[in-house]
Amino acid sequence: MIMKISKHTNLLAAAMATATLLAPLSTQAAVASGTTVGSEAERGLKAALAPLKASPATQVTLNGQTYPALAPLGPVPVPPDNPMTAEKVELGKILFFDGRLGGDGSTACSACHVPDLGWDWPDNVSLGYPGTIHWRNSPTIINTGYYDKLFWAGSAKSLEAEARSAAKGAVAGNGEDDIMEARLALIPEYRQRFNAVFGDDWPKINNAWMAIAAYERTLIQRDTPLDQFLQGDKSALNESQLRGKALFDGKAGCIQCHNGPLASDQQYYNVGVPPLKRWEEDPMAQITFRYELYAKGSDETMYRSTKADPGVYFRGKMKAMKGKFRTPSLRYTKYTPPYMHNGALATLADVVDFYDRGGIASDGRSTDFAHSKSPLIKPLGLSNTEKSDLLAFLDAFTGEKILTERPAMPAYAPLFTEQELLEARK
Amino acid sequence: MSTRHTGTRLLLLATAVSLALGASLVSAADNSRQLPPIKVNAAKAELGKRLFFDVRLSGDAAISCASCHQPENGFGHPDALAPGYPGNKHFRNSPTLINTSYKKQWFHDGRLATNLNDVTREMITEDYLMNMDMRLMQERLKQDPIYVKMFKNAGYGEPSNGSARKAIPEYLKTLTSRNAPIDNGKLSETAQRGQSLFDGKAGCNQCHTGPLFSDGNAHNTGVAENLDIFRDPLRHQAFIAFNMFMGNENYMALKRDVGAHVQGHKADGSDKGTFMTPTLRELNSTAPYMHNGMINTLPEVVAFYNDGGGEDSNKSNRLKPLNLSASEQSDLVTFLQALSGEPLTSDAHVWNKKDYSYQLIKNWREASN
Repeated sequence: MIMKISKHTNLLAAAMATATLLAPLSTQAAVASGTTVGSEAERGLKAALAPLKASPATQVTLNGQTYPALAPLGPVPVPPDNPMTAEKVELGKILFFDGRLGGDGSTACSACHVPDLGWDWPDNVSLGYPGTIHWRNSPTIINTGYYDKLFWAGSAKSLEAEARSAAKGAVAGNGEDDIMEARLALIPEYRQRFNAVFGDDWPKINNAWMAIAAYERTLIQRDTPLDQFLQGDKSALNESQLRGKALFDGKAGCIQCHNGPLASDQQYYNVGVPPLKRWEEDPMAQITFRYELYAKGSDETMYRSTKADPGVYFRGKMKAMKGKFRTPSLRYTKYTPPYMHNGALATLADVVDFYDRGGIASDGRSTDFAHSKSPLIKPLGLSNTEKSDLLAFLDAFTGEKILTERPAMPAYAPLFTEQELLEARK
Repeated sequence: MSTRHTGTRLLLLATAVSLALGASLVSAADNSRQLPPIKVNAAKAELGKRLFFDVRLSGDAAISCASCHQPENGFGHPDALAPGYPGNKHFRNSPTLINTSYKKQWFHDGRLATNLNDVTREMITEDYLMNMDMRLMQERLKQDPIYVKMFKNAGYGEPSNGSARKAIPEYLKTLTSRNAPIDNGKLSETAQRGQSLFDGKAGCNQCHTGPLFSDGNAHNTGVAENLDIFRDPLRHQAFIAFNMFMGNENYMALKRDVGAHVQGHKADGSDKGTFMTPTLRELNSTAPYMHNGMINTLPEVVAFYNDGGGEDSNKSNRLKPLNLSASEQSDLVTFLQALSGEPLTSDAHVWNKKDYSYQLIKNWREASN
């Protein structure tokens, strides 16, 4: 089965939504993982699908160009072929934490997207599969339901496709469809749940990605100070943050890419992030770097000489695409250091300094792909006060920490009774 | 082409005649049990040896080839069913790799009949075996300066997964029986009596022929199913995934290992439960026995055949109760024990150096990848 999510739609979301407005997601106080359908899953669903009271579709004009203004985050888009139900969300949550969706049982989604650590991994590049390390920064799961391009280079077009790729890659989950599907079949609770949610006689591995994606669509945050401000609560931002917003929309030019409700235009840019120093210092990182060049398709010359992540190049193989990555959202970034596709920048202050220098790191390094560096990235001439105002505003993109309780893992059980085994004729 | 055709026909004719005349003729045609010498490229074999014992050839760097093919167990594994890759367990017994270079067809079900290069690839890449993306393996090898040197010395150039799949089979050529009584002419009198039974009354040589003591064919001897495959979900999941991949029907409901059915998928199912005749060399260090480790000792194996094998609707009609006396059975066991050589557990066959490491490429920015 091929999952093709051609277009997100809000129709279904609107139909399913209740009048509840911006119910807080599973904050610490709200966590109550239960065996009964509902509770956390239902609250998550309601919060994800609640319509916005008002959605002012305004624009910002900068240097003669118009950009969608920052806006409150609306209901999460739900693909028509994967409607949300509380039962599916609950199943997806269990699967998100289950290492059996992987090669050796140790790499659940939650291994590199740790709820307590911002739903990502707090190192420059991600943890990776045992015996390896990854080569890119683990992005947070929070609000990924709003992207139509997943992964740093946008190689997946849906959360469903993203979950599948992450579970299978050699430096990520390193799982294979056949063994993962066979494992699900030998776990009675999964047989029951896949049947109830999808009607599967035996759990289908592709439905596991459907359920995980549904769960991820409830991992959203729509009640940040920024959302409150944009919906009319003028007290939600302080003076410094308001000055920061003006810089964001103006002198600092952040709005040119970080725009709209998600604070991302989902386009590809080379902003000048330098190659990761770790590639010069860590043999495991060097292995993975070459592996990625090899596995993603490089000619001999490129394989031999490339020393920086070519990014979206692998999807179109055009020189102009080298070093470009999809604009990430700025939401929830408070809890997700380090930053950039390779985690080369440790703090948000470093990020602001980086852009202020015109896409140059503190040690003077920049991208290896100078030819594709975006002309939007130029020295900004921000004062220290302006930088701190900008940082204060960035803080408003993040609300409370979203936490959850790890679900109990359903147990394996033999498929056949002893009696059935003994009666089997040879 | 026509010559080959004629040859095949002659061979078929010869087989028919020998079957008609009974076992004695088979043994007469089978007088050479010596393994021919194999030419080995020392540099390539040495490289293959280091690879064979290197856990970095598995996905999570937890197991090497030697994890399931242990030198001290005749390059097999003492468990009835092999351990397999972490997060899974295997559903068959780990066979000895000693003399595997002489085989023409591999695995208990004989599913590969090309070469050990292909077998090596399957072992390294299958998810329940070593679960390795060989592209990643290649880059791991390139990060180990000892490999860089060894691949070069072996004439392979820089480390590559293709060359690794050549070097390991070259090493496997060195795993051959050494100084076994059957080969050095030192069979005891008891063993010689056992040999006569082997070739005569017991009829072992109907299938256990030639230098390997194997006809290279699949037979159904009625070995009992090892139900631990189905009792342990970690084994059962690997069994299910394997049977799904091999295109066996109704794999979720299977409660028996169909074995060499995967070769021909006979519609009448008469090939179900057949398994390749294993070599009888190196039995002393490779217990337990049979494709699923269901028989623990050689006297039990002999008793099993003395009873005419086990129960199976597809059981070979070659198997009949043998009416061997206790002393005849004991003689037969003594002969079987004389088919084992010296253990291959020294540095000549085992990479004992603790020199596996990754080295930083220091001038990385300037170095060619």
